[in-house]
Amino acid sequence: MSAFSVRASLAALIAAAALAACGTSPPAHPAAAHHDPGTTPAAPAIPAPAATHVAAAPAATHAAKPKHKKRHKKPAAVAPVTQAPAVTQAPPPVNPMPQGNGGDHDADNNGGPDDGDGGTV
Amino acid sequence: MSASEAPDHSAALPDPGHHAAVRRVALGAAAVLAAALVGVAVAGISGRSAGSSNGPAFPAIHPAAAPAGWLSATLPDGAVLWYPPSMRPVTADRGAASAARLGRTGAYLLYLNATPRQGDERAANWPAFRLSHLRDDDARSARELAAAAGVRFRGGTGSCVLDSYVTKVGAHHYTELACLVQGSRASSVVVAAAPTANWPQAASLLERAIAAYRVQ
Repeated sequence: MSAFSVRASLAALIAAAALAACGTSPPAHPAAAHHDPGTTPAAPAIPAPAATHVAAAPAATHAAKPKHKKRHKKPAAVAPVTQAPAVTQAPPPVNPMPQGNGGDHDADNNGGPDDGDGGTV
Repeated sequence: MSASEAPDHSAALPDPGHHAAVRRVALGAAAVLAAALVGVAVAGISGRSAGSSNGPAFPAIHPAAAPAGWLSATLPDGAVLWYPPSMRPVTADRGAASAARLGRTGAYLLYLNATPRQGDERAANWPAFRLSHLRDDDARSARELAAAAGVRFRGGTGSCVLDSYVTKVGAHHYTELACLVQGSRASSVVVAAAPTANWPQAASLLERAIAAYRVQ
């Protein structure tokens, strides 16, 4: 009985150690997956490079494909958030051309052919 | 029919190595072709001559007196701009002269201008100067079609550029022949322009006006 109990306890210890080893490694992988949605301030800065990685990754490594795809696809979804302000901030086109004869009466001030002046309007 | 197709598919599918080799060869060929095209494009840009390789040749300007009945305007430095009676004087900068034929809506159909040299333009940099000036001044885009140096004029020689541009105001497309002409006493700029769509019909008359331009 005692020998059996010692063996049983050793087996239990080995099993527990094995479970502990298996239990610690999985969180390391999900950390990468959680990294994207969890880091909201850093996410907007990343998307631009992410687009280039998506194009390069498929040709580079086959083994790392799933992980890379997961990492890069999520930031890509954030990208429109960073692009939206850029679109709204686009200034209206400014026409530097003096309108209405801008100082003289050349035809070129009103869309006519350009004259031969060398530096004046 | 299906029996003849089946062997082809079975022969093609199981050989990924062959596909990879074919892809490499195709990619290599595409890279070589792209490099060749870039080289041709760069050579075309850097090898600017009197007539652009893919554009119109620079027109021949033979200095000659204006036809009878043409009118003239004289600049303060003595240069004379001749224009046909179908054109009339229009407003220009002080010291310059312009003549134009206008359409019923006031659009410019033909345009001539002569202006004393005012800026940093020189015979050596004239085509680049003119295009840059157009972009800075009134054009949203401008491109050179042809250029020539050492063009003979009445009383001098000139550097000329044939170009087309689109105005910032109205987005009008014009083609022009613009020359910086150096006389014995002074230099001036003479410009002949027409809407790009009308240039083939207008070029002959405008080139004749350029050929009649006289400097002192």
